[in-house]
Amino acid sequence: MTDLNLKQRFKLSRFIKGEKTAVKRIVLNQRCIFILPTKRGLGFVVLISLLLLIAFVYNNNLAYLLAFLLASIFFITILHTFKSLANLVLTVGQSQPVFSGESAGFEIIVENLTKQARHNLQAHLQQKVDFTLSTQEKRRITLYSETVKRGWQDISTVTLSSTYPLGLFRAWSPLHFSAKVLVYPKPNIVELPFPEAAGAEINLLNNPVAKKGSDDFYGLKEYQAGDSIKHIHWKAFAKGQGLFSKQYDGNDLSELWLNYEHTPGHNVEERLSQLSRWVIDAEKMGLQYGFKIPGMTIEPNHGKPHYEQCLQALALF
Amino acid sequence: MELAANQRVVIFLLLSIGLITLPHVYHVPLPLFAFFSGLLIWRFIGIWKPSYLPNNILIFLLTVSALLLLYSQHQGVLGRDAGTSLFVTALGLKLLEIKKERDLYLINYLAFIVATSQFLYQQSIIMAAYILFVCCVLLATLVSINSQKPQTIPALKTALIIILQALPITIVIFVLFPRVEAPRWMMFDEQHSARSGLSDSMEPGSISSLGLSDELVFRVKFKGAIPPPNQRYWRGPVFSHTDGKKWTETKQLFFKRFLDKPHYQGTAYQYTLMMEPQDKNWVFALDMPVSYPNSLEKNALYQLINKKNPGDRAEYQITSSPQYNTGYITKTELKDNLQLPSEPSEKITKLVQHLQGYDQPAEVFIDALLNHFTTENFHYTLMPPLMEENPIDTFLFETRYGFCSHYAAAFVYLMRVADIPARVVGGYQGGELNKAGGFLEIRQANAHAWVEVWLKNKGWTRFDPTAAIAPERIEQDVNIDLQLSTGIVNFNPTNVNISKAISWLKQARQMWGTVDYSWQRWVINYTGANQAKFLSSLGIHDFKAMAYWLLGCIGFITIVLAWFILKVKQNVVAKELRLYQVFCQKMAKAGVKKQNGETAQQFCMRVQQQYPQLAEKAELITDLYIKLRYAQCYTEEDFALLKQKVASFKY
Repeated sequence: MTDLNLKQRFKLSRFIKGEKTAVKRIVLNQRCIFILPTKRGLGFVVLISLLLLIAFVYNNNLAYLLAFLLASIFFITILHTFKSLANLVLTVGQSQPVFSGESAGFEIIVENLTKQARHNLQAHLQQKVDFTLSTQEKRRITLYSETVKRGWQDISTVTLSSTYPLGLFRAWSPLHFSAKVLVYPKPNIVELPFPEAAGAEINLLNNPVAKKGSDDFYGLKEYQAGDSIKHIHWKAFAKGQGLFSKQYDGNDLSELWLNYEHTPGHNVEERLSQLSRWVIDAEKMGLQYGFKIPGMTIEPNHGKPHYEQCLQALALF
Repeated sequence: MELAANQRVVIFLLLSIGLITLPHVYHVPLPLFAFFSGLLIWRFIGIWKPSYLPNNILIFLLTVSALLLLYSQHQGVLGRDAGTSLFVTALGLKLLEIKKERDLYLINYLAFIVATSQFLYQQSIIMAAYILFVCCVLLATLVSINSQKPQTIPALKTALIIILQALPITIVIFVLFPRVEAPRWMMFDEQHSARSGLSDSMEPGSISSLGLSDELVFRVKFKGAIPPPNQRYWRGPVFSHTDGKKWTETKQLFFKRFLDKPHYQGTAYQYTLMMEPQDKNWVFALDMPVSYPNSLEKNALYQLINKKNPGDRAEYQITSSPQYNTGYITKTELKDNLQLPSEPSEKITKLVQHLQGYDQPAEVFIDALLNHFTTENFHYTLMPPLMEENPIDTFLFETRYGFCSHYAAAFVYLMRVADIPARVVGGYQGGELNKAGGFLEIRQANAHAWVEVWLKNKGWTRFDPTAAIAPERIEQDVNIDLQLSTGIVNFNPTNVNISKAISWLKQARQMWGTVDYSWQRWVINYTGANQAKFLSSLGIHDFKAMAYWLLGCIGFITIVLAWFILKVKQNVVAKELRLYQVFCQKMAKAGVKKQNGETAQQFCMRVQQQYPQLAEKAELITDLYIKLRYAQCYTEEDFALLKQKVASFKY
């Protein structure tokens, strides 16, 4: 990390959002750990003042002693609270692309290289995750963040905090990681038929719509986000075997061209949403599908890399 | 927060609250304490049967009844007793309403206040240790609340560590924090329970009842030599007036200004006298006090009187001279000290005549009387038979069993019959030397009565008839332990086993006495004047210097503590990185330095270009390092392999 000048050092955003320099790996030290008393800590200060008042009125040395003991415990707790975060190592793990509207999961690896156990840690993105770390333990935690827009979504500030040991102080560390997740356009809920009537662009060897309901059931595959509900193998789910999607064999049977220009929709997002739906369905059915959006053409193909390439193109359009 | 998950925390908290309020059973009125105990038990049951806990309406009713109960007991909330009851009751009510984490904190803080109120009643070292222990439990409760998997023993351990680490700063603040006395309007008048001690009149048996009490009255620390036991007479009230049975003080002390100026001879003793709280404002100085602090005054009977509240512990610097001559006797004194309730009986006049009281000088008569006590069949006992009518006649001619007060009363009576002015002096005699602490401890069992006779050219002179009948009492001091255990005044235990046990007991008592003395002197009594005296001996004279020292010391301790607490036991750098750094260092020696921003692979390439013979080894190390650092899966063997390769690497 680079050195900060005085103005940067006391900039408010540093205490809330973390430093701008986005990194992959952070060792928590005094530069990124901040400490302030909690409300309970302020209550403790009131308690100490009350004890001092009692000691003063009754001129009672043992009451003074207890008040001083609590005051120095309050003071010492700052060090202990700092210690509950200090020297943790945080690394960004992998994150899977999601469809817009779903929660994106960021994986953070928290590593405790010291011999001291951490009894109370909280990671905060949009929801809180409580966890503990024992001596020299490494733990993966996944933080979820709501997505609303397609495209690359940055992980915003992850805040790691702790109130251990007495809850009088809260140490927190706002961390600005350089991790981002790809958000695909939200698939349209309405299932429109493939653009067969759109003319020249569609070159059907066989009518996929007619095929759709037919028997050439090909196999089962684990359910993935975006799969149509219609294709879920409910019998297996009812047996408690988990969620599976039925796959239909349509290989080499058809070549589908999806064209942005001929996609129904009032605006860009609606069209992308519909295309996203078609890509998912076409992949499910095992069609050879090609892809044409302004500025980009992807030759018809099939398979996971192709599928991801198409969705990425849609996401970044 | 769910309570089910925090059951352990709640049990912990309830237990520590039980512990903290337990000693208050003596201080809080019984109905209130019963009310509190009821609430505590109710809450305990509520842990396992949450449906039994009261709802809001019931809590409101309970609060109202608690307020009524409080009002009926105390008529207010100010003052020590009322305040303590208030906090105890509030604590009990709050217990029934634990809903959030915040409530747990509030209860915890209330418990700390109740713990403090304990010190307003008792300040012994044992109570302090007890409260410290309970505070540790309370802190452990907070630790448990802030842990996700609360465990009892680790929480207690953490709390103890925090307390131990906090102690140095606590002590520094305690020593340096300025003590200012609270203004008058902030003080509350409290009535104290009666304490035992010498009373302002002497009846047969009034002193012997003290003989069984080992309660400490005062301590004396001498600057130089300690006076021999037979000179340790600690002067208290002087009884001149008698009705034949009861001896009382003269109330009229106006003759003070007519008194002769006393002359002092011989070596004077300088000492610090530390009085325990008393009911009467008497200060028991060594006979006879010469100089004393301004807060004291000497009355016409040469007794020191404290002008301030006797209920506080206090220290006085006093000088006494054991050899003195009070000079002439005033008319009032003469009249007072010859007073007799009625004509003496025939037996008594006969006795005085027999001892040549009427025709010989006073000194001869005194010798004869003391000799009479020694040679005749007189006995010294703590439990004399009852003498209701004519106690002096009965004692002299019938029972002949008596305690110091009997001998003193009879002695003075006989003197007065012979027309010699005499009076009884009450106070304490002796004192046990605490060898460890080098001070004398004077207990209630040391209470004593002796006699003063006015002699021509000598003034008031002390005689002790008890010394004639039981010289051990004066020479050897009372054996308090044996007196307590058997109720018999005994000075030379004959049984060897008992004597051994007693000496062991004595040692233990003396050790404890030393600790307690230091505790009283340096902790309880470390207020205003004492603090100023101690700090100026260190060269700290004003508030400003105190503040500087306070900040300096706290700063220093903080640095030491921070180093101690925050030092990292394990290197923060991950294992694989440390090993790789060793490899880089080795290469740096060979002239290939890893640049900032250069990846491990780029560095490996450079190494291979410069030292082709090392290519294979460098590549293996680099690959292992990358695998350990970035790959998701690796084994412990990889670590071992990397370690071995780096160790054996040579250029």
